[in-house]
Amino acid sequence: MTQERQAGRHVPLRDPRDVMRLARLGALHQSRLSFMRILTRRMARENWRFNRTAFEINTQGVGHAVYTAHTPTRSYSLVAFAHDLPPEQRSDRVIATAWDATFTLFDGVPTADDITRLSQNVPLQEAGRVSQTELSVSRANRSVRLWEHVVASLAAGDQPDMARIKAVGYLMRTTAVYGSGKLGAADREMIADRPEFNPPFQVEMLSVFLTRAFVRDLVQHMANTRGGDQTATLDGNISRHMGIGNSTGLGMAPFLLNHPVLFNNWVAAREEALARVRAIKAARDGEITLFEQMLDRSALSAQQWHSDHPIQIKKLAQLRADLDSTDLRAPDPWDTLYLWAEANLSLEGQECLASLLLEPYGALVDELSEHMAADNTPTFRIAGAMTLGALRGILETDYGWALNTDWSAPENRARAWYVSEEKLEPRLGDRFKEAIEDYEQPLAPGRDAATLFAAIAHWPDDTPVAEFLLRHPEHRHILRRAQIVNRAPYAEIRDNTIAETVLPIDMLRCKLAFFGASHFDPRSDRWVRICMYGGAPFPEDLCPDTADTWVYPQLEDDT
Amino acid sequence: MTFSLNEIEAMSKRAARGAGLPWGLCEEAAKGTRWLASFGLPGPALLADLLELNDRLPPVDLSPISLSGDWRAPAGRLSPLIAGSAMSDSAMRMDQGDTITMVNVSFPLLVVPFASGAALRLQGAVTVEWGDVHLTTDGLNLCIQGPDAALNAAHANSLRCFASAGMTAPKAPVVRGTLDSDVAARLNAFAHRTYAPATEQSRLLGAGAGLSDND
Repeated sequence: MTQERQAGRHVPLRDPRDVMRLARLGALHQSRLSFMRILTRRMARENWRFNRTAFEINTQGVGHAVYTAHTPTRSYSLVAFAHDLPPEQRSDRVIATAWDATFTLFDGVPTADDITRLSQNVPLQEAGRVSQTELSVSRANRSVRLWEHVVASLAAGDQPDMARIKAVGYLMRTTAVYGSGKLGAADREMIADRPEFNPPFQVEMLSVFLTRAFVRDLVQHMANTRGGDQTATLDGNISRHMGIGNSTGLGMAPFLLNHPVLFNNWVAAREEALARVRAIKAARDGEITLFEQMLDRSALSAQQWHSDHPIQIKKLAQLRADLDSTDLRAPDPWDTLYLWAEANLSLEGQECLASLLLEPYGALVDELSEHMAADNTPTFRIAGAMTLGALRGILETDYGWALNTDWSAPENRARAWYVSEEKLEPRLGDRFKEAIEDYEQPLAPGRDAATLFAAIAHWPDDTPVAEFLLRHPEHRHILRRAQIVNRAPYAEIRDNTIAETVLPIDMLRCKLAFFGASHFDPRSDRWVRICMYGGAPFPEDLCPDTADTWVYPQLEDDT
Repeated sequence: MTFSLNEIEAMSKRAARGAGLPWGLCEEAAKGTRWLASFGLPGPALLADLLELNDRLPPVDLSPISLSGDWRAPAGRLSPLIAGSAMSDSAMRMDQGDTITMVNVSFPLLVVPFASGAALRLQGAVTVEWGDVHLTTDGLNLCIQGPDAALNAAHANSLRCFASAGMTAPKAPVVRGTLDSDVAARLNAFAHRTYAPATEQSRLLGAGAGLSDND
């Protein structure tokens, strides 16, 4: 049906030189192609079953629980360990060594021996060791603000205060969710051929989905312990608003640079989806109605978005103004609306709209989720027969911004990415004030491309790059990237990642928006808190009706 | 002890960097080591040997002087990472029937992952042989012929790479690696050189903390 309405129209994909700027990436919003929504749609469509097979937690809140998800063909179990954490040890920082709760997603249903083995390792996180039957390792800390309020309210026979719940959004926040072979867990290749894990980060998203059910049960358990018979049962309409928080620091920022093909595929899928919707000639009444509903609900979401960080408060004000000034009665279809947005809205508003435009068109765009994974093997090898003339052309086209940047100016290379000795985590330092340059990670492709461009300036056009690399192996890294970008135009951030003005939260926000996170709350320019699965159904409530647009608050919730 | 292939790759990349290799070659070392480990071959151990042999030496000393004729290094021995990369980069020459010959190459098994890259580019099988050892890969699977001692040799006087007809008795990769703890320790010793010593300043500024996170 939609194919017919597309006939004759072609809307090109947005130019990577615009899309891949940090300011725009830092304004991305979740969409139908976000990883959480891809998962909840699949779980509902395939009628996954869920059960809690263990909840052995004592009155101090210490013990373990197991939550199993059954797909039509397999089972996956979240094994959760609850701990009694002294307040002084509670830290979101990656250098923490103890947490309120620790988790692993087990491939199958664990035996008692598995639980014993995991209990000796998972609570230690980085200091422990898991095996190929574990698909992820994660940990979470309580929101001290909310946890005690909820336990005390329920124990007294009352429901917690909805305003306080909405202000925080979660009872626990994860401080790391590791997958893909970290700490000895299964490599992605072991599970990538399972359809449920084809789209990116589905293991991690499933782990968090089940973690949310565990946290709800744990808070009820602690309230029951304290309040006895008079304890109230947490109202489902309240618990639905509780997501799982996530506190993310710099460790995540280099991911987008270190996985260029994967990043390209995420962005390309969303861009293709947007182009398909913009190409639709005429919108049906039902589609317009659905769009308007999601727009209203999105506006409500923006109002509920609490952030103390000044940069975010400014963005929020823009988004609110943008949504208020949108002409919902626009007679022309989506391309017109999008082009109006491009001319009139902030980046925040443009990207919010780009995501909203996809909402009525699941049948047209959801299949793109099958193309967001990446096999790096074909693009890793350098095409040595490419000539330096062709390479020069790629650099001019795809790194033009970098060739026009003065890399001798201190402000343009003020930062350096490095790995710290403690905890081996990426950090961003001041190149001219800290002794870190010798340890710099290759996370400045713009600078490196400009250096390569200068290095080949005096070489003949017809020399193969293989010959050049024999003399100059120091350019092998960026030359590979340039060849990748030539095939995958959204692979590269087209902005300066070491400028004095770089905001790592732009990279964090971009990645987290693809996860499907909302309510970004930057705590600094390099550390952000978000909420995952806020408003989502719990496992027992998951069905096709509840599985998709949960990310937008219900209008009747505006109380 | 078993490791995920991702762990082996990450450890190898950092180790290669710690031994002074440029990032692009570190990436090659990491992918190659991972690839060998996925076939149960001692890629990580040989990488540790190689990094100790060539620790912080200039890559150009261990590179082919020219891509014409037999490949020889100015310093007398070729690095399998550098010569292997050059072989992968020159894959199209093998498509035209050329044999690439490397003279005096260290740890020849480390050349083989580059044949897998070349095979993927050529969409055909590529053979690497030295002494009694013949290995053929189509990029995904591997046929291994030859005694272990020769396979894991520290040196090959002459190594040949060429496009070949096909695969006999191919072995598929497994998605898990094993690593002796001493090999891991040797690689981690190199990797450790890439970590900036923590200072209180970097601890606070670098990770962006400073606000209370216990709320």
